[in-house]
Amino acid sequence: MAGIQLRSVEKRYGDTWVLRGIDVSIADGEYVVLVGPSGCGKSTLLRSIAGLNDITGGAIHIGARDVTRVSPRDRNVAMVFQSYALYPHMTVRENLAFPLKIRKDPPAAIQAAVAEVAGMLELGALLDRLPGQLSGGQRQRVAMGRAIVRRPDVFLFDEPLSNLDAALRHHMRVELKRLHRRLGATVVHVTHDQVEALTLADRILVLHQGVVQQVGPPRELFDAPANTFVATFLGSPAMNLLPGRVDDAGLSVGGVALGWVDGVGKAVRGDVTVGLRPTDVVAAAPSSAAGASPWVGAVDVTESLGAEALLHVEIGPHKLVVQVPEPSPWRAGAQVQVVPRRVHVFDPGSGRRL
Amino acid sequence: MIVRWLVILAAVLALARGASAADVVVWHAWMGAEEAGLVAAAQRFEAGGGGRVSLVAVPFGVFDAKIETAIPRGNGPDVVIAGHGGLGKWARMGLFEPVDDLVIAPQMPVAEEAMRWEGARYGVPLAYKTLVLLYDPAQVAAPPKTTDELVALARSLAGDGRYGLAYEAGAAFYHAPFMHGFGAAMWQDGALSRLDTPAHAGALGLSARLAALGPTRPSSERIGQLYREGKAAMVISGPWFVADLGRPIAAAPLPIVSETGQPARPYLTVDGAYVTRGPNTDAARAFVSFLAGEASAIVRRDVGGQAVTTLGVSADDPVRTALAAQAAVAVPMPSDPKALMAWEPLNKALRQTQRGAASPEGAAAEAQAWLELLTRPPPEPASPTPYLMLVGVLGLLAVGRVAQRLSSVELRGQIAAHRADYLWVAPAALAVLVLVVAPFLVGATVSLFAHYEGSWTFVGLRHFADIVLSRDWPITSPMSFPFTLAVTVLWTITNVFLHVTIGVALALVLREPWVRLRAVWRVLLIVPWAVPSYITALIWRTMFDAQYGAINAVLSLVLGHPVELDWFARFSTAFAANLVTNTWLGFPFMMVIALGAMQSIPRELEEAALIDGAGYFTRLRHVLWPLLRPAMLPAVVLGSVWTFNMFNVIYLVSGGEPDGATEILISEAWRWAFSRGNRYGYAAAYAVVIFGVLFVYSRFTNRLLGKRVL
Amino acid sequence: MRPNPVVVALAHVGLVIVSLVTLYPVLWVVKMAFSPGQGFSVGLWPIPSSVTLEHFAAVLGTTASDGTWLFGRQLLNSLVVSGATSLLGLVLATTAAYALSRWDFPGKEPGLGAFLVTQMFPGVVMSVPLYLLLDLLGMLDQLAGLVLVYATTAVPFSVFTLKGYFDTIPRDLEEAAMLDGAGRVRTFVTIILPLARPALAVTGLFSFMTAWNEFVLAATLLGDPRSFTLPIVLQRYVDDYGAAWGSFAAGAIVVSIPVVALFFALQRHFIEGLTAGGVKG
Repeated sequence: MAGIQLRSVEKRYGDTWVLRGIDVSIADGEYVVLVGPSGCGKSTLLRSIAGLNDITGGAIHIGARDVTRVSPRDRNVAMVFQSYALYPHMTVRENLAFPLKIRKDPPAAIQAAVAEVAGMLELGALLDRLPGQLSGGQRQRVAMGRAIVRRPDVFLFDEPLSNLDAALRHHMRVELKRLHRRLGATVVHVTHDQVEALTLADRILVLHQGVVQQVGPPRELFDAPANTFVATFLGSPAMNLLPGRVDDAGLSVGGVALGWVDGVGKAVRGDVTVGLRPTDVVAAAPSSAAGASPWVGAVDVTESLGAEALLHVEIGPHKLVVQVPEPSPWRAGAQVQVVPRRVHVFDPGSGRRL
Repeated sequence: MIVRWLVILAAVLALARGASAADVVVWHAWMGAEEAGLVAAAQRFEAGGGGRVSLVAVPFGVFDAKIETAIPRGNGPDVVIAGHGGLGKWARMGLFEPVDDLVIAPQMPVAEEAMRWEGARYGVPLAYKTLVLLYDPAQVAAPPKTTDELVALARSLAGDGRYGLAYEAGAAFYHAPFMHGFGAAMWQDGALSRLDTPAHAGALGLSARLAALGPTRPSSERIGQLYREGKAAMVISGPWFVADLGRPIAAAPLPIVSETGQPARPYLTVDGAYVTRGPNTDAARAFVSFLAGEASAIVRRDVGGQAVTTLGVSADDPVRTALAAQAAVAVPMPSDPKALMAWEPLNKALRQTQRGAASPEGAAAEAQAWLELLTRPPPEPASPTPYLMLVGVLGLLAVGRVAQRLSSVELRGQIAAHRADYLWVAPAALAVLVLVVAPFLVGATVSLFAHYEGSWTFVGLRHFADIVLSRDWPITSPMSFPFTLAVTVLWTITNVFLHVTIGVALALVLREPWVRLRAVWRVLLIVPWAVPSYITALIWRTMFDAQYGAINAVLSLVLGHPVELDWFARFSTAFAANLVTNTWLGFPFMMVIALGAMQSIPRELEEAALIDGAGYFTRLRHVLWPLLRPAMLPAVVLGSVWTFNMFNVIYLVSGGEPDGATEILISEAWRWAFSRGNRYGYAAAYAVVIFGVLFVYSRFTNRLLGKRVL
Repeated sequence: MRPNPVVVALAHVGLVIVSLVTLYPVLWVVKMAFSPGQGFSVGLWPIPSSVTLEHFAAVLGTTASDGTWLFGRQLLNSLVVSGATSLLGLVLATTAAYALSRWDFPGKEPGLGAFLVTQMFPGVVMSVPLYLLLDLLGMLDQLAGLVLVYATTAVPFSVFTLKGYFDTIPRDLEEAAMLDGAGRVRTFVTIILPLARPALAVTGLFSFMTAWNEFVLAATLLGDPRSFTLPIVLQRYVDDYGAAWGSFAAGAIVVSIPVVALFFALQRHFIEGLTAGGVKG
């Protein structure tokens, strides 16, 4: 096992930057999830660590070794592809044994290693099948097994769960977590699914347009997003962003003064972008004195999620999503009083957290 | 693993390599009984302690090309056995050793004479071939004495599928007896004769009358068959006809031409044995003099059925007696290479008159014009200087461009980074460069030279100008480049259209899950692709036979009255015959491509259209076809290139008939190279033009489709 | 989507008719081969009236003057030449097609174009230059020379087909193999080639047929009957002075059987191999 250091990694095609100035250290045994919208460069970064792409600048170290110019086959990393990339003409057993055979391990050792991994992933009954005869979840496990069997320094997961249905995905998420604990491996995991990121990661790295937006433990990113991008990308339902203003009386949105809501820095003055998580808002009947907020709007649409409901509230020109517990008394057209409990304040120009 | 395979491969190849340890290697083109006679004679020679003899039967079609390329490079045999018609050309090329001092058994004077060229004796005569009148004694009591009698007798014996006279009337060799009987000639006093004389016209008229007595366009095997079945009372042919007949046959000299009172005088060819230039002449000389000797002559007569030239070996049967009598008046075949040029014009005139496409006079005049074109002196040599300068400038420009591109640091870096990649491509690239591109470039260079009677002259782009501007023929003539190009384009378009239409239609049926035995149909329908095409093309040719072909038989059955359409007499039908054959050959490829392409188109799309209310043909037109088209296009482009150069079918089915009208560019090039005085330069220019046309076509399609197809 | 019974019936009748038309000329070959005599058969129905095996006996039993079994020798030649041609052709074409499919090296596009342009060279006029070339290389009169020429002739089409197929094999597989520690050659041999089996089968068969059916070059380049391939032999039966149709047809059947058998054995690969169907993982 080994950690990974990315030092000013950059990648560009001609004038198009895909990655710029990536400086991240991943500790030995750490589970890091790369998230970002499609096209943000997260897969490119992962493939750069694997050595499947060349980088145009910077350096990559795995453990103590500079692997920037090392061929992928000599980096001792294992990867699980989104498509699983199982060799279709080989049985599960041959797939699992392939990396060991190439390493010229003795047959007995190969057999033992395959058996161990098959036991770990419950693949024992499937060993003599071809990948084409397996279900999606089984293939996923085989792909995982092929990565594990080599005991690599680093595991690279490229959207490994995205081809599974929701129930299986949840199951595998738990499996992955268990596996990571058991192996103590260094993992870099790429996904566009923020739930995956939040549940699995020791640390999350958010990438946008080839630039690292924020790196940190899930809680930190959730509680203190570094900018509006991270703020809206993590968390479901997504954070509401509204134009606002902070003056000596505190925060006001759309001319309605809300006072010094939790999260507004005392030193902040001037125009801001206000971030408001749907979970950080309380909805009340307009007349009630729950928070005595002057912020009142009409419910446009309601969505029930089972345990909670989302209210889409129109306040003047702004729209706001508010999460309320079910059963909810609100129906479309009802007037609702909105009480913000906690807000995030960002610079309206740069989007940075203030 | 690959290495192991390659080692095995090399070992097998080394094993299979035919090594010959014979003392004398002989190349010949005799077959059947004649070959057996030669084998028997060679065995006598070996038994007599004369050393080992290796007899190589070379296919007739490549015989000339083979000896003309092999012997000058020291790869030839020690002895060549061939008719004397090519002797002049070969002697001039220096293929053979003169054998003036070789003492052999006495031979017929005419045969001895045939072995001479420009005063020197180049070979020993073995056997002669000429034409006689062969007849069925059961039907013909006394052979006709004159051509008028011949016509009358033949008419009286004809009817009910039987013919009074059957011979290969369309070949000038069979026309020659009457031509000479009319006092006309192809070659006289060492020069080509005019072909537009009244005597020629008269002879053509006679040949047309005689041809009308027999079946249309018969092949020699057809005539043999008719005779065996008792359906041909008289035949004009030679000793080769008599073998394996299984029916009594009698022979007489050809009749006197009634119009002139002169005997019909066929050509006489002498098959001789020639000693080639090389180190092994002593053994070779011993073998050829043995071959000409009495012992060999008897074996060749008795086993091989030959009419031998050795004096004292008597003709022992009536056919050979008649041959001997005929030989007394026969005209020795000219062996001057110039004489060869007259055959094609004469053949053409003959077929035109027999088809009724021209009067004898008109055909004769056309033949003369054609002959003059073929035999006109080679073009003036051009100065190579401007061409060399042009090549130099272009070369410099190319080198400069490459150097300029390579001077880019980025490109050099990329090349260096991909060094290993080039290793993967290199073997194939090198092989293609050496064995495909280089020969073609050599061929292309040849197009700048004129080949005329063995010598080469630099003529620059003259050939291209002649071809493209059609300087020698009006563009309406089948010989002109625009005409041939138009035929080739028509040929390609119609073929590809039919291949694609039939292939797609079958694929549309075969993809349906409700079709039973789908695998069986698929297998049956790719049979034409699996059987070698030169076999099936020959079969198709026989199926288009006017009297006996299966096609006319089917048409008769369908139409309810006898059909005896001569498919090769008109452009439209001859073209159709070629087209049918090639369509048959080509549709399975397109069917397979279409099936594959359809498999990759999800059925859901058509189901969606069905739910939207689209009928079957609407679905095909608007859903399937737009998705099928891109997958089919590369195959269509590739298929059209192959069809454009589809030599086999044209050559084997219509053979260019009528009058070269169904010739396409590639077969035209072949004719110039191999059957019109070896005009290699002119043929090479044709090849370059073909390449140019295809190249432009492929660039055009790429541009049209916005991507590389070919 | 089963249509009404009339359409189904019509489709089957159509298939029967088309198949009959397709097989008709082939049946003629069969008839001539089994009918006595060397003439070609006359009439509408390609059914032999009497059956004989004399032509097969004569063709198969051809011996050389020294008593060796010439036909056997020539059959072996044809098999060796054709087999070696497809093997060599595949080695040349797969490596090139793989590189052209996968890597972007300078000169790749023009190189691919150049491969395809050779398909437009008119072959008929190239036999003489080829003869000179092989003479220069000292490979005249050797089956190895013939193999080299045939394999090379087949390369451009093979590259074209194989590249199309390789393009459909997901790159993930090679990347996975590379991360598993396999080098390029190993990946190519253990991952790519097994997956490209349909395309290998098709291109191998085409190369085989190129060699199996060709006679102009073979007749020009080979000078010893013991090194002749079967098409040269077959061609001689329908040479100048009168054709021996019976022997020709019998020989044609003998020559066709291996190719037809290969065709049918490989035909399920055809559709996939030629049109580059995807690889399902």
